[in-house]
Amino acid sequence: MKKSLFTLLGLGVLLGSTSAMAQSAWDGGDDLPVNPLACDGSAGAVEAKPYDGAQPSNAPDRSGKNITLVDIPKLIGVGYFGATTKGMQEAAKELGNVEVTTDGPTKANIDEQITFIDNYITRGVDGILFAANDTVAIAPVLKKALEQGINVIGYDSNSTPDSREWFVNQAEFNGVAKSLIDNMAKEIGEDGSFAIVTSTFTTPNQARWIAEMAAYAQACYPNMEWLETVEAQEDNILSFNQASTLINKYGEDLDGIFGMTSIATPASAEAVTQADMCGKVAVVGLATPNAMRPYVKSDCVKSVVLWNPVDLGYAAVYAARAAADGDLKPGSTELEAGKLGKLQVVNGSEILLGAPFVFSKDNIDDFDF
Amino acid sequence: MASAVAATGNHERYAGLKRHETILLFVLIAAVAVLAFRSEQFLTTGNLLNQGRLLVEVGLMALPMTFIIITGGIDLSVGSIMGLCAIMLGVFWKNVGLPLELAIVMAILVGAMAGFMNGWFITKVGVPPLIMTLATLALYRGLAEGISQARSVRGYPDWFFQLGQGELFGVPTQIWLLLFFFVVTAIVLTFTTFGRSLYAIGNNEVAARFSGIAVDRIKISIYTLSGIMGGLAAWVFVSRVSTTRSDMGTGLELDVITAVVLGGTSIFGGTGTILGTALGVVLIQLLKNGLALSGVKGDGTIVVIGVILILSILVSDLLRRQRGAEH
Repeated sequence: MKKSLFTLLGLGVLLGSTSAMAQSAWDGGDDLPVNPLACDGSAGAVEAKPYDGAQPSNAPDRSGKNITLVDIPKLIGVGYFGATTKGMQEAAKELGNVEVTTDGPTKANIDEQITFIDNYITRGVDGILFAANDTVAIAPVLKKALEQGINVIGYDSNSTPDSREWFVNQAEFNGVAKSLIDNMAKEIGEDGSFAIVTSTFTTPNQARWIAEMAAYAQACYPNMEWLETVEAQEDNILSFNQASTLINKYGEDLDGIFGMTSIATPASAEAVTQADMCGKVAVVGLATPNAMRPYVKSDCVKSVVLWNPVDLGYAAVYAARAAADGDLKPGSTELEAGKLGKLQVVNGSEILLGAPFVFSKDNIDDFDF
Repeated sequence: MASAVAATGNHERYAGLKRHETILLFVLIAAVAVLAFRSEQFLTTGNLLNQGRLLVEVGLMALPMTFIIITGGIDLSVGSIMGLCAIMLGVFWKNVGLPLELAIVMAILVGAMAGFMNGWFITKVGVPPLIMTLATLALYRGLAEGISQARSVRGYPDWFFQLGQGELFGVPTQIWLLLFFFVVTAIVLTFTTFGRSLYAIGNNEVAARFSGIAVDRIKISIYTLSGIMGGLAAWVFVSRVSTTRSDMGTGLELDVITAVVLGGTSIFGGTGTILGTALGVVLIQLLKNGLALSGVKGDGTIVVIGVILILSILVSDLLRRQRGAEH
């Protein structure tokens, strides 16, 4: 009696879980609404949202005057933020009336980042540029800066909108998705089949990208075949094993692999290289140039999708200058950003850097991060 | 005969130690003077009170750390305990659904448990403190990340921020908390049998055992106290930054230990005072702040603090030896 009850229970759990798996494991996306971009690359009609940032109170008139900015990234001493700093210095040099100093913790640590910002508020600067280690934890100290009339601009990693004026957003989810799928279609053809190696189905960014990829692929490349999405955490060896399994499992049927993390993409490229399938299985993914350089050089990987952090830093300084001058204010719809041209204001108070950047054999040596 | 030697030894140490604090006080005054000269924002009430707010978490954990290092032990897990308590506070409140007041108490109890476990293994199983707390440094951080699934807890009610962001009689609220514990621990260390036993354990643990001191119980209690203070610091910290993350307090153990050692507590045990620790905490915080205000970047600040740490220990050691030679 008891035994059969347990068997029944076990069977129920098993059935329940498999049916749940059948429902959710097909792509690894989340169930949130998607907003795929147009297939031809024309700007999609985005519903304008009212300004939702915050303004500094009693800011002095800085229009046209020399200003000092401090840049406090998540951490210093890594290639990625070295690249944003480089872009900031470039912009400051171009503008001529801006001075930017980069300073910050040596570990991506929210406690220290807050202390750094706090000290610079006391020291007195005209503007603060930040890449938040935590969206909410950084908010009180940024609000303090706004209260003291300091211009506050975020880039790379946002804070809550009410604690900064503007956020320079490097790429939107649907933009990244479009870039990934387009590059894959270019390599394997519009009727090719592909699989995805992601971190976990619950990781918010990856799930969001995958959901947007599914929507965009369905709309623009209906003949592409989606084979499977596998989880590999952020684990090098597991990612390699999962990619190898995909190659063995699907054989001739597999034309391409997407890597959704900066770990999964090089690991997938390594798996393809070791299986001697370069040229037969394409790898497209999100990754940093340094990790992908050997595979791009050996022609095994043609396109690595990310954004250009030099441009990101460059745009952030232009945004700060425009905010100080009063040119960028609630209701503005675009930002004039030097060599980058006009950047769009999206989502209330975000400045969109533009389409994601594609690293290829031609340009990968220009980047070191 | 033997006891007479021990007594003079103690006496010398005590005198040398007094000197260390005097030196530290002079360093502090000199540092304040130089920094005030280099930046006009430094010596303002607003800035100093703000710095007081920022040093409370390290200060709270440095008090029991002084006790522990006096006995010749160490607690590397305090930063992780703070992270664990912070995340438990959020989890008890948001996920378990306890009232926030109860969640705070429970989180501090978790800290006490974590500290007790350190103490129990160190005394009953005989794991060296360095190894034990190095293990729990990773273990407690792992628990914090596992329990919270690395997700933040946010949206605390407004009253909760009073401790971390509010003021009482014009002084940041959390400074009162730190002052209270500063006075209590200073009294305990200087005037009670318990406090004097800590020095005895640090000087010679075997002798302390033979003289009837309950070494194990005392050790367990100070590691537990360290956990409790980690819990309190977590409460203050969450209230200050208004959110909970499982990586809170990463690397904080080094700040705490640096402050205690700068304050004159010998890492070999047997010496140290709460006043010295307080001076150490204040000196480091003011150096960090003052250097930042006068335009030194973050990496430069770390170098200056390292140099001051080495110099102050060298000078105080030198003076102690000279005194020894005179006798």
